[in-house]
Amino acid sequence: MLILCRLHLDVGVLWLSWQKRLFWCSSLLHTNWLRTSHLDPPPYLKCFRVSTSTIASCPISDLAHLHSNMKKKVLLMGASGSGKTSMRSMIFSNNPASLTSRLGATIDVEQNHVRFLGDLILNLWDCGGQDAFMDSYLSIQRPTIFSHVGVMIYVFDVESREMAKDLEYYRDCLDGLSQFSKEANVFLLVHKMDLVRDGERSAVFQRKVVELEKASGDFPVKVQGTSIYDETLYKAWSSIVNTLIPNAQNLSRHLQIFAEACSATEVILFERATFLVIATSSSNASDPVTAHSLDSKRYERTSELIKAFKQSCSRLREEFHSLEMELAEFTAVLDEMTKNTYVLVVVHNPVVETAAIKMNIRMARWKFEELQGDSLVS
Amino acid sequence: MGPPQHQQQSYSNVVKPKQDVAVHRTKVILLGTRRSGKTSILQVLFKNLPPKQTFYLEPTMRVTKHAFDTVIPLEIWDCPGNITVDTLEAPLSDFSSIVFVIDIRDLYQQPVAKLVEFIVAACQVNRNINLEVFVHKAEKLQEDDKIENFRQIHERVMDRLADESPEYEQVPLNFHLTSVYDHSLQEAFSRVVHKLIDSLPYLEDLLNVFCSNTSSPKAFLFDTTSKLYVATDASPVDQATHNLCCDYLQMLNSFGPLYKSNASPDPRSGVFSSVPGAPPHPNTPPTPAESLDYLSSNLDPPPSASAKPLFYPSASTSLSPSHPGTTLTYHLVTPHLALLALLPTTVYEIRRGLVEWNVVWFREGVGEIWEVEKERSEGELA
Repeated sequence: MLILCRLHLDVGVLWLSWQKRLFWCSSLLHTNWLRTSHLDPPPYLKCFRVSTSTIASCPISDLAHLHSNMKKKVLLMGASGSGKTSMRSMIFSNNPASLTSRLGATIDVEQNHVRFLGDLILNLWDCGGQDAFMDSYLSIQRPTIFSHVGVMIYVFDVESREMAKDLEYYRDCLDGLSQFSKEANVFLLVHKMDLVRDGERSAVFQRKVVELEKASGDFPVKVQGTSIYDETLYKAWSSIVNTLIPNAQNLSRHLQIFAEACSATEVILFERATFLVIATSSSNASDPVTAHSLDSKRYERTSELIKAFKQSCSRLREEFHSLEMELAEFTAVLDEMTKNTYVLVVVHNPVVETAAIKMNIRMARWKFEELQGDSLVS
Repeated sequence: MGPPQHQQQSYSNVVKPKQDVAVHRTKVILLGTRRSGKTSILQVLFKNLPPKQTFYLEPTMRVTKHAFDTVIPLEIWDCPGNITVDTLEAPLSDFSSIVFVIDIRDLYQQPVAKLVEFIVAACQVNRNINLEVFVHKAEKLQEDDKIENFRQIHERVMDRLADESPEYEQVPLNFHLTSVYDHSLQEAFSRVVHKLIDSLPYLEDLLNVFCSNTSSPKAFLFDTTSKLYVATDASPVDQATHNLCCDYLQMLNSFGPLYKSNASPDPRSGVFSSVPGAPPHPNTPPTPAESLDYLSSNLDPPPSASAKPLFYPSASTSLSPSHPGTTLTYHLVTPHLALLALLPTTVYEIRRGLVEWNVVWFREGVGEIWEVEKERSEGELA
């Protein structure tokens, strides 16, 4: 792996300084490609290691057809060591937080296609944050990086010692975005919040929010505090992913109808692989959920709990499939809805049986398959 | 992980917390040099402290006693590091078990000397005392070093005991490799508790019968809050399965309060005790005694002394959708004990009724043993 990184660096330097050797450079890249196929990527990073230089070499017009409704480009940026790759490996590769310390620095851009919700493909660009790379993103690779962006996620380490520099790069990235993709959503994550003491957390976060909003000027941004050690990570990513799903309201409306049919208090739809929340039956204030005043962190805590349980299942070479609970407080069923979603039905009416809920889920399955197909095409 | 108090709540109308009734508690003492992890062990097991937070625990300055109820009531004494046989406020003969905690990275001389001192003192007063050594903080070392250090500590203790007197060579001493960061601590402490439960063979018999009649490869009787298993069937405990069961229990414990309705206090009791004509829950055991209870509860307020709860929480999760998959079931059998069983998915799906029927009988059996144990612990004091 080390050799590979070195080669990449060499390529970068050569590219920048020595235009004449371009031909040689691309031949080197060629050998590189062969090498990647020999060296198996570690299983926890099932991604596609691409040097941006290769992408830069193909004309923009070719890239245009890649950008459709189905394929959303997500830029993951931030200073080196701020936790971009850790986050990605937890959300999309199902790794536990304890293993993230083994991840190495990201070299250049690691491009990752994540099939999210069937036909919706997230084209995740994990951009290495070292200064040399940042400079090249902002200069030579500027059109490649910043065009057709659906969402930019900019990660700030809450304990960063070089906040001024981070902010400067951040402003430059915003410039790039406003030049090439004006309609992109920008999410700012104040990461590693677990390093801040419990009592000071909200105060520190508020300070960061003010600072970041000032730096963003009139660009509309959403700031969230995250940590890989608790549920905040899932909360942030769920809200990010929600902006990418077309017709999320439509799904939510059908979930409401479904909830009514099941006499359920709440129905929550999760994406299968990441267990991020896609839609819930409670979108407006006048639903039964408010009457029960459920825990406000329940969505992200559920994601976290199920992900953790899935990990312990995989340690036993088992695969989690479904769960039904009749606890003292409520009855709930978690089962497959469509081929890439899971549904959690929570019922507080004790007369309702889990078997009935399961039957309802089975009956609703085709409708939601259809709905999902629809919502993605439109 | 949230405090899983929901089990107690659902039983609140049936089992009154008997704080006022003094019971005879079996005593366990935790010893070890300072900063070896004694208080961490207690807090993680019984107070649901996240393992990462144990770093911030204050040193224990005086002996603290923790009461813990499972099948039998326990009292666990947490001692400061500098305690000796003479400064301990109770004679060693009062204790049924001594748990000695050694930090795996510790310089072995001092803790071993202290351990040997206690073993000698304990053997003089009570030859039948259970001696357990937790080689703790195993997560701090790599796999190979871990085994090596564990072996060395074991060897040193045995050598020192042999030096004291040849008769101590025969002292049964159990060594466990533990860590608060995985479930090895739960497993080791479960084994400590097993030796204290006199009715263990009967519980094990019940589990064996359940397993053979339900074609279950493995079943545990877990204490829900501490995630210790009180008993298991005769097949050997596979660590991976045990870990999975612990994680499952932890997930269910956390799910409970998560979707708890804060508006209506207890939906189950609301329907099952006040609404006449509500259909009996399928989990309600259809044994004659129970149906009588159910009928009477509809006519007039149930006689609170003899009534059994009409609802027992249960859950199941199916693993690997392909055949033959495994289903992990959870059935609460007493306010604090739950039966966790691995079942072939085909059995659970096709013969669920029979499985639940077996659970009912299992529950009755455990309930009777529990009653006897309770009577005895209260009687012993009188």
